[in-house]
Amino acid sequence: MHDKKNNWMWHLLSLIVLVAVGFSIYSASQKIDYTWQWNRVVPYIIDTSPIETYAEYDGTIIINDAGLITVEFDNGEPTQVVAKADDLFVSDGDLVFEGDTVSSLDQQSMGVLLQGLLMTIKLSLISLFFAVIIGLVAALMRISTNPLSRNFAFLYVEVIRGTPLLVQIFIVYFFLGTIFDLDRFTAGIAALSVFTGAYIAEIIRSGIQSISPGQMEAARSLGMSYPKAMIYVVLPQAFKRTLPPMAGQFINLIKDSSLVSVISITDLTKAGREVVAGSFATFEVWFAVAALYLVLTSTLSFGVQRIEKRLSTSD
Amino acid sequence: MTRANYNGDDMVIATDVDKIYPNKCHALKKVSVTVKRGEVVVIIGPSGSGKSTFLRTLNQLETVTEGDITIDGINMYDSSTNINTLRENVGMVFQSFNLFPHLSVKENVKLAPLKVSNLGKEQVEKDAISLLTRVGLAEKVDVYPSQLSGGQQQRVAIARALAMKPDLMLFDEPTSALDPEMVGEVLEVMKSLAEEGMTMVVVTHEMGFANEVADRVLFMEDGQLLVDDVPANFFENPSHPRLKKFLSSIL
Repeated sequence: MHDKKNNWMWHLLSLIVLVAVGFSIYSASQKIDYTWQWNRVVPYIIDTSPIETYAEYDGTIIINDAGLITVEFDNGEPTQVVAKADDLFVSDGDLVFEGDTVSSLDQQSMGVLLQGLLMTIKLSLISLFFAVIIGLVAALMRISTNPLSRNFAFLYVEVIRGTPLLVQIFIVYFFLGTIFDLDRFTAGIAALSVFTGAYIAEIIRSGIQSISPGQMEAARSLGMSYPKAMIYVVLPQAFKRTLPPMAGQFINLIKDSSLVSVISITDLTKAGREVVAGSFATFEVWFAVAALYLVLTSTLSFGVQRIEKRLSTSD
Repeated sequence: MTRANYNGDDMVIATDVDKIYPNKCHALKKVSVTVKRGEVVVIIGPSGSGKSTFLRTLNQLETVTEGDITIDGINMYDSSTNINTLRENVGMVFQSFNLFPHLSVKENVKLAPLKVSNLGKEQVEKDAISLLTRVGLAEKVDVYPSQLSGGQQQRVAIARALAMKPDLMLFDEPTSALDPEMVGEVLEVMKSLAEEGMTMVVVTHEMGFANEVADRVLFMEDGQLLVDDVPANFFENPSHPRLKKFLSSIL
């Protein structure tokens, strides 16, 4: 049994090192005299603050036998009906003045950070959709025999990969956005899709070129046209090979989407900045934001691994 | 002239075919070959002689620099010729099989009929099963190519090419990539195909097959067609000095 190693020892060692690193970070943060207040982050993830109902004008509370709460106003305005309440701060016959709290309703809604997370998911998914289309077209143009389409695809990829995304976002939003009257969301989607599309184009191109030319020849020799041979023979195989780099690119897209916060789209990063400004729990908020990004990206990697396993049946 | 109304004897007419690659390699020099309907023509020659290139010009996987090729009455280089329609009528079998690895054996055979011909699904399914039975792979219809031996893969490739009901079959060294013990099963299928009257052009190094099955054997060297003869003469009384040299070097 020489080939069976005691791997669990190494796993245990990893765990110990991890704990040690965590502890040193903790003790380092003790030195800078920072009071950790994780509970301040929670309301920004799940908002549990109750909805309060106020009296619209001065008047009298009337609660009938059925338990219906109404406010009769002194000035003759139509009676205010208080619909649902978990906590009641008045009783039958009480006098209330304009602006008094009559009741409150417990509720749970998404906090600012979760809303930001949703915006990030929405931005990433829509951008991914367009990026894959742009990337596929550019990849096919890149391998085409026509010099015109080859040149343009080359130019597109080089220009986009050669300039920073942040600069592209500014150009799309301030220059193109002004010309075509784009709102910030559209501008953000456009910048992210065009940027990611260039990388996806290269991934798909290398995927297609990694498929043996014999596959295309076999398909063409059966009478299939170039597009049919591409769609039914080459691309399905190329897709399988490009899945791992494609997943990496999608994870990059999710992370890159944080840059659109500079044009005031309230994605997860922008939400984080807003929450820091409101709560002063700087460290906790940024750790929470990082954790939310990590949940998103690791869920994605896990999903892609599952798809890869399913597609590997024909190997 | 369209496929339907041509009943002439000549399946392939290649006239003065010249092929010069962009790197100035002169692969074919004025090659002229006529193949009659139902004929089996075997092309042999040393590697680099242009025999595979010539075969590939017959379904335009290689375009020619000069010359004309007519397949089943249709001139390949007429501006009105649809190359895809022409290729439906010309099956090809490759040295490296080129099966579609992402599709099962049956799907490999069914793909082109489903996507190119306007046949019903049930008809295509029935044809695929009967073709695979014919090449002796009825039990393997649902496995993937990677699970098959080389000989089995090549037989699937033959079934796939036959699925388009071609009138002409091209074989590009179909047994060269096979382990010796699998060559026989593929040659067997090709022989039965020849007996059924299929027009075939075969590039191969299998002299036994050429001698036994071929109606004519061609010898190419250095891009030129040097000998075009019946097998008996070709092997027993080689007329050309270079053919003599080639035969003595391989036999």
